[in-house]
Amino acid sequence: MRNKSILSEAKQIQLASELIRLGARLQVLEANSNLSRERLVKLYKEITGVSPPKGMLPFSEDWFTSWQPNMHSSLFINIYHYLTAHTDVRGIDAMIKGYKLYLEHIEASQLERVLSLTRAWTLVRFVDSKILCLAPCSKCKGDFVVHALELHSNHVCGLCNIPSRAGKTKKYAQVIASNTQQLSAA
Amino acid sequence: MDANQMLGEIREINLGYMLLSQQMLREDRTAAMYRLGIGKDVADIMENLTSSQLLKMAASNMLLCRFRFDDHLMAEMLTSHSRDRAVSQFHAAILMAGQPAEAIV
Repeated sequence: MRNKSILSEAKQIQLASELIRLGARLQVLEANSNLSRERLVKLYKEITGVSPPKGMLPFSEDWFTSWQPNMHSSLFINIYHYLTAHTDVRGIDAMIKGYKLYLEHIEASQLERVLSLTRAWTLVRFVDSKILCLAPCSKCKGDFVVHALELHSNHVCGLCNIPSRAGKTKKYAQVIASNTQQLSAA
Repeated sequence: MDANQMLGEIREINLGYMLLSQQMLREDRTAAMYRLGIGKDVADIMENLTSSQLLKMAASNMLLCRFRFDDHLMAEMLTSHSRDRAVSQFHAAILMAGQPAEAIV
């Protein structure tokens, strides 16, 4: 479909370039703007300097329920719900805003960006299509992302009940090792 | 600290809080509403206050802002040192984002 209005096209380009800067994949762009695929690819190359990655988007809903991703996606979806419930922004705009606020939190507490924009977008779609939903933790009463078809009357979140090996990844071990090395050297 | 000094400081905090929230709302209304934890009607009022109204409001003997972590759990989380700091902050952020917004009843 050809875009008739130049103004609306300008808006679309602005939206698409913001999404690209936040790290969106091409499929996310295609779903959220009516610019042609060629133009989106061109825009992507112009902004990032590389061709857009090919292949399917990550599609597993189980990813959102493992410990660290669950923490990050629960924070994002809580922000997103706050924005859609109390402010005027909706849809993709609310998603971008929520994602920016999430990134801000990550930077403030110097964590890694676990949830990519594409994942965040997928999460919103999963929640909308009732594959995933939010369930309150029976201890802290916060809402967390869970499978929609599981029982969650007695759900305890991963933050109230931290699994013993949670977050102890290879990278974490490397950071700890380099810290102790620095300490012993000093 | 005597009473006069305390009142002065309360006024200062009030003024700082009101000015900051007004500025936040004017710059980016959506993000400010999330950060302040306020609803639409409160945001409207705050945004439209004139300087003299703002000064009048600030010159009160009570604080205009209040704790957002009013339950035991959140207070414990924000102050606990036993756990990883980033993790407890994360937990607190999730709970805070899930709290209802401050609204006019």
